[in-house]
Amino acid sequence: GCMKGLSYVNQIYGEDRITTPLVRTGERGSGDFREATWDEVLDQIATGFKDIGERWGWDSIHVFGQVPGSGYIQKGANYRASALLGMSHGTSFDFNGDLPMGMPITFGVQNAEHEAKDWANSRFLLLLGANPVETRIPDVHFLFDAIERGARMVVVDPSFSPTAAKADAHLRIRPGTDAALGLALCRQVVEDGAWDQAFMAAYTDAMLLVNPDTGLRLRASDVFAGGPETHFVAWDTTTGGPVEIGIDRLGVPAGVAPALEGTLDVRLQSGATVAAVPGFELVRHELERWTPERAAEVTGLDPDAIVRLARAYAGVKPAAILMGGGANHWYHGDLTGRAFALLAALTGNIGRSGGGFSVYVGQYKVRVDTSSWWSPGGAKAHVVPSIYFVRGRTETMHPDVPYPAQGWHGLFCTFANMFVQAMDVNRLHETLAGLDLIVVVDHQMTETVKWADVVLPATTWYEKTDLTATPLHPFLQLQQPAIDPVGESRSEVWIWRELMKRIDPAAAAEFFDVDEDAAIAAILESGGAAGGPTEGITLAALTQGPARLNVPDPDVAFKAQIEDLVPFPPRSLPAPLEATAVFVPTGRIEFYKEEQRFRDLGEAVPTWKPPFDDETHDPGAWPLTLLTPHSKWRIHSSYANNAWLSEIHGGRPEVFISAADAEARGIETGDQIRVWNTRGEVVAWAHVSESEQPGSVTLYEGWWPRQFAKGKGVNELTSSAVNPIHEIHYVANMWAPSTGWKDCRCQVEKAGIADG
Amino acid sequence: MSSAAPPITSGAPVLTGRADRRALYAWIALLLAVMGIGAAAFLYQFANGLAVTGMRNIVMWGQYILFFMFFVGLSAGGLIVASAGRLFGVGAFKPITRLAVLEATIAVILAATFILPDLGRPERIINILLYFNPTSPMIWDIAIVFVYMAMSAFYVWLYCRADLARRGSWLAFGSGTSERTMAREERVKSVMAWVALPAAIMLHSITAWIFGLQISRGFWYSSIMAPMFIASALVSGLGLVIVLALILRRLGRLAFPDSLVAMLGGLLGAFIAVEAFLLLAEYLTALYPGAPEGEAAARMLSGPYLPLFVLEVVVGLLIPFVILSQRRLRASPPWVAAAAVIGILGIFVHRLNLVLNGLSYPNIDLPPGLPVGTPQVGSSFSVYTWYVPTLVEWLIVAGILAFGALLLTAAVAFLPMQEPEAH
Amino acid sequence: MADGRVSPVEALSPASKAWGEIGPRSAAPHWGMVVDQERCIGCWSCAVICKSENDIPLGMWWNRILTEGESLDQPEVVRGGALEMQWLPLTCQHCENAPCVKVCPVQATYHRSDGLVMQDTDRCIGCRYCMIACPYGVRNMNWGAPERPTPHETGMVGARPLGTVEKCTMCVQRLAEDQVPACVWSCPAGARVFGDLNEPEGRLATLIREREGYELLEEAGTKPSVRYLPPRRRSPL
Ligand SMILES: Nc1nc2c(c(=O)[nH]1)N[C@H]1C(S)=C(S)[C@@H](COP(=O)(O)OP(=O)(O)OC[C@H]3O[C@@H](n4cnc5c(=O)[nH]c(N)nc54)[C@H](O)[C@@H]3O)O[C@H]1N2
Ligand SMILES: Nc1nc2c(c(=O)[nH]1)N[C@H]1C(S)=C(S)[C@@H](COP(=O)(O)OP(=O)(O)OC[C@H]3O[C@@H](n4cnc5c(=O)[nH]c(N)nc54)[C@H](O)[C@@H]3O)O[C@H]1N2
Ligand code: SF4
Ligand code: SF4
Ligand code: SF4
Ligand code: SF4
Ligand code: SF4
Ligand SMILES: [Mo]
Repeated sequence: GCMKGLSYVNQIYGEDRITTPLVRTGERGSGDFREATWDEVLDQIATGFKDIGERWGWDSIHVFGQVPGSGYIQKGANYRASALLGMSHGTSFDFNGDLPMGMPITFGVQNAEHEAKDWANSRFLLLLGANPVETRIPDVHFLFDAIERGARMVVVDPSFSPTAAKADAHLRIRPGTDAALGLALCRQVVEDGAWDQAFMAAYTDAMLLVNPDTGLRLRASDVFAGGPETHFVAWDTTTGGPVEIGIDRLGVPAGVAPALEGTLDVRLQSGATVAAVPGFELVRHELERWTPERAAEVTGLDPDAIVRLARAYAGVKPAAILMGGGANHWYHGDLTGRAFALLAALTGNIGRSGGGFSVYVGQYKVRVDTSSWWSPGGAKAHVVPSIYFVRGRTETMHPDVPYPAQGWHGLFCTFANMFVQAMDVNRLHETLAGLDLIVVVDHQMTETVKWADVVLPATTWYEKTDLTATPLHPFLQLQQPAIDPVGESRSEVWIWRELMKRIDPAAAAEFFDVDEDAAIAAILESGGAAGGPTEGITLAALTQGPARLNVPDPDVAFKAQIEDLVPFPPRSLPAPLEATAVFVPTGRIEFYKEEQRFRDLGEAVPTWKPPFDDETHDPGAWPLTLLTPHSKWRIHSSYANNAWLSEIHGGRPEVFISAADAEARGIETGDQIRVWNTRGEVVAWAHVSESEQPGSVTLYEGWWPRQFAKGKGVNELTSSAVNPIHEIHYVANMWAPSTGWKDCRCQVEKAGIADG
Repeated sequence: MSSAAPPITSGAPVLTGRADRRALYAWIALLLAVMGIGAAAFLYQFANGLAVTGMRNIVMWGQYILFFMFFVGLSAGGLIVASAGRLFGVGAFKPITRLAVLEATIAVILAATFILPDLGRPERIINILLYFNPTSPMIWDIAIVFVYMAMSAFYVWLYCRADLARRGSWLAFGSGTSERTMAREERVKSVMAWVALPAAIMLHSITAWIFGLQISRGFWYSSIMAPMFIASALVSGLGLVIVLALILRRLGRLAFPDSLVAMLGGLLGAFIAVEAFLLLAEYLTALYPGAPEGEAAARMLSGPYLPLFVLEVVVGLLIPFVILSQRRLRASPPWVAAAAVIGILGIFVHRLNLVLNGLSYPNIDLPPGLPVGTPQVGSSFSVYTWYVPTLVEWLIVAGILAFGALLLTAAVAFLPMQEPEAH
Repeated sequence: MADGRVSPVEALSPASKAWGEIGPRSAAPHWGMVVDQERCIGCWSCAVICKSENDIPLGMWWNRILTEGESLDQPEVVRGGALEMQWLPLTCQHCENAPCVKVCPVQATYHRSDGLVMQDTDRCIGCRYCMIACPYGVRNMNWGAPERPTPHETGMVGARPLGTVEKCTMCVQRLAEDQVPACVWSCPAGARVFGDLNEPEGRLATLIREREGYELLEEAGTKPSVRYLPPRRRSPL
């Protein structure tokens, strides 16, 4: 726990707690409501949704319920109801910009990280845009445990974050340039001969031959008579000829010494000969460009520091890379992920306790099979990436996305403060303006609630039952009510049950006549077979405390792949394996991507591209990058209204700005300043700080609009640009458009008069 | 103003005329009204807590302590002047001795009164007797205040006793004016002078030690604190005696020659010089090493404190000193009175600076600082606070000052003020 | 302890209770605490739980986390132009030579035999002399009627009377149940260790010895029962 959970009493009983259903009486957004009875609002919503359903189709109702990993049952009820009614459920992991697209691209998984406990086993910790001192408060002690055992910690961050304050070295990188650093580190490791060729050959696509003319990998069927189309080809230097590489098992076929470099003439079945190259040759070709000097130019770092970091990192094992939102929340965050995944692979750190490349973002992870609850009678909800709700469809949108034919007409928003936390909020409001009905379920009087037509009072986690696990801790936890619901508040399962009764009594009787305990029991049962994740875990046991899931200890990503040569990817729940296996058809860690769009966009191998917002905001006119990391005082916007915490931090948004940038604008600490770009603006208070470097400003995300001097919150400025790479495949929350929160240019000026 | 002394009306009730009496009653009514308002303010504060004052966790002592210190100083100063005159045989002081002793008594009563509103739980003041802690300078200070109060009240009585007896007042407690009694009175007076002088010095030293013994407060933690308190007591105490004496002479209640005024003025100038010297010693010692310990002293020379420092030193010490060092000006009662008033105010500012600067920067001044103590808009922490007394504090202060004025008025009206010329 | 309050310790699961247990102690313990500046992440969990465990009203904090830096959570430039920031959690140091105890006119603040400095708010006259005397600035006055963000009192001790001074009690109500103070229990980073300073081979003594534990404002001679472990030496690239 931390100071937020410890001050939760103020959320439960504080001034902003919603205790009765509310119906809007004024304009949308006015915050004028009257109290209503449950019967009245439930009837109103049922009628409203039925009207929309009949008129526009049920799929024009968007259900936005945030990451289901933090509540399999209550949040699962949204999936259950969406499946039954045909509403479009939204996405979260990708929407939150947390989905590290480098992971599905490289490893074919949604994400896979070492459990936090394993940090303690590391001897070198490289933190990249991660600020665990503020954002992983309960786990950060594992870093200190490692340090006490002699590990070294290096933090790469444009700001002097509190985590940087704890590090042995802090590299103050220019925002959005991590990939360049990663590539230079890789190059140095290769140049120093410190790379693990055997590892690269055994687990990655390094040896698989690519036909440079087509950009495609050679298939076994291209080279060998009767060779399967799904198998690949490598070059054996002992025999001086091609060998077939299957996809059932990792590793290198016995006796084969594969070529990882060079050009190899391969005779095809067609009779032609191609000058094929191993995948690694293409990667290496890109690495050549990333000399320390070039990387230094891009990143603003000292070239010597880059070389020293490469040697320090490659010099000890196991070495862990911990990447966080700061590096991931970029339009091209996938390239950063791919570059550092390559670094970890080159040094053989993948699949090893204390090592690995882990991206710690979000609370997305579904650790057990929840289909018994989420998919009533096997029916699955349509899931549409919520970014398309905010900004409409894109031209490059994947055809599998079930975008509603009639567009958006209703919103059921729950477990989210969407109108504050979503990107490009002014654009979102254009969608909202076209909606017939906005329903918001929450227990705090948030900005999102203020824009609702009907508000339903939710219970807090102190007041209801749920089941959860987290990405950093492979434990299943039962959330048990400790107090009675405050006021008229009700749980989400109750709300959906009552709504279903009014919308579709038959479905309600068949599928919603269950309580939380029954839903949990069913989930435990489905995963409880021998070897299953919940083997041996019972509801009764969970009432006594969290139970460790049936996973290796320590839980290390890709352990089965590295130790047992099981092909990539491991399954990403709740999707079926087939859905994500198409991301890495080689069954290996892929650094070369052969899909056409990768090649069109010049991203077939890991590379670096300038921040995307530079294309819409000329850096000359918009000289500052707006960084919006996560604050230790809040979970996003939650706790922003907590009285005790406000006593500490003062309760008003501060923009951290370097002395140079402040001086150039005549800004002093305490001044009201306007931060704006073409998408929107806010007015907040300046704090001139050494922690900031010239060229960027930091405004922690999550402040409420009412705490600003002006504006709808910082996300007026952020971008809803969609990277077409993220639309090559579509699996909700797994390969889908990931938001670039930090990819945001802005300008700053003094506004009004100083007020200390 | 003419320098000729008004006629002396020793022993006779002053306010004989109707108009005079009406003015007196109006004055008393006014004082009672102010006292009433003060009492109401005190009750309000009692009900709502000290949150109604400007004090908080950082500057946790304010106006009340300031006035306590100030009046202790006035009192000690008055008594020192009175008894020193006697001890060192400065007969010329005689006409104002009674007034000085009276001033000392009333001032210490006021000082004691100021303790009450300063307490968070004034109704528990009895705990000081029940559970007194011998290691607390505050206990000793309160003890000396009461001892001193009793002593100076007796001293006043001693001086007035004969006149009262002559008037047949019960306040003489049956004592007469026989030669034997008068001789005994003289002896007691001599003894009293010997007791009163050290008592006055102790009173003020202990008060100084309340502050000066605190290692937690860099600005106070100094052995010069006690001497400095005494010097400033002398300045303010003598200053007040001079001013009151001139007022009474003006009202026809006291007679003395201008030469006395000049003499007192000279003495005041000397006291001011001593005070300035001690101040110099203090600041020099603090500032010379350029070490962190001198920070508090250095603060006086910049920022918001600079004007206060200028007030204290330039206005409060330098100007009166310059006035009083001019023989010509010293001979003029209005100039001396002006110098005395400025000197008193200078001492007041000196004490204000002592409290404010001693407290407003906490010892550990790392951000975000100390919890302020009451709910705030914005952060509840502050590294540094400035203190501004509230209306409630002013009303209570006004009430207590009115009480003092009432005591003085009553004493002047009903007690014989003029010490008879030498026998 | 306030009447009618049920200790939450009783409601704890056995594992949690064991986690909060006070370790080995000597025959005559002198309770103390060690705070590790290397581990402290400035999260204020300890300060917030103190607030809730001890029902501390708005505006008052017995425990707080100072930043050795420019402002709250902001670094400062040190010699050589590098940036540095450390946190310094600060609460009553339970001084053996306690200035507050010396100056209190009515002995409302006093020593217990186990070294703790206690506060009797039923006797305190609210003179605030102890606040003057305390070199650490950890005392709070009840200036006005308590204000809370919710209609509820929190924690295990009763509200203190208006006009009195209060401070950290080392959670004596928890010690009485053989549980470490709330702040120690809550610290997510393991930066706080509670124990018996008199136990020569105890955790406190060992840590102080091995990590060169220091006293805050040693020059004030207060002999605090709280000691600090300085941050480690870094090994830059
Ligand atoms: N207290 C708290 N904890 C949280 C959350 C919260 O809201 N509050 N949210 C949770 C969730 S959902 C998430 S996703 C995580 C996110 O938490 P983190 O992964 O820590 O991500 P951020 O806080 O966004 O950014 C971390 C650091 O990245 C730096 N940074 C910004 N831009 C760049 C860049 O271009 N390169 C590099 N190298 N660094 C950069 C920032 O300065 C910041 O210090 O935190 C989780 N934990
Ligand atoms: N500019 C910028 N924006 C960002 C980010 C960034 O780095 N920069 N980070 C993004 C990331 S990583 C994330 S994960 C998102 C998070 O975005 P959100 O999940 O929308 O963030 P929260 O503010 O935590 O909103 C949760 C809401 O759910 C409510 N709630 C809590 N418990 C319950 C409950 O039991 N029932 C119901 N019905 N409601 C409940 C809370 O009161 C709160 O209003 O924000 C994203 N937004
Ligand atoms: S914010 Fe996270 S660490 Fe803090 S109490 Fe809540 S769940 Fe625990
Ligand atoms: S820290 Fe302050 S309050 Fe605590 S014992 Fe020491 S002097 Fe007293
Ligand atoms: S405020 Fe209370 S505890 Fe402090 S010194 Fe005065 S009487 Fe003692
Ligand atoms: S020991 Fe108890 S009272 Fe003292 S700071 Fe810790 S939690 Fe607060
Ligand atoms: S809880 Fe621990 S880590 Fe957090 S501020 Fe307190 S001592 Fe430091
Ligand atoms: Mo997130």
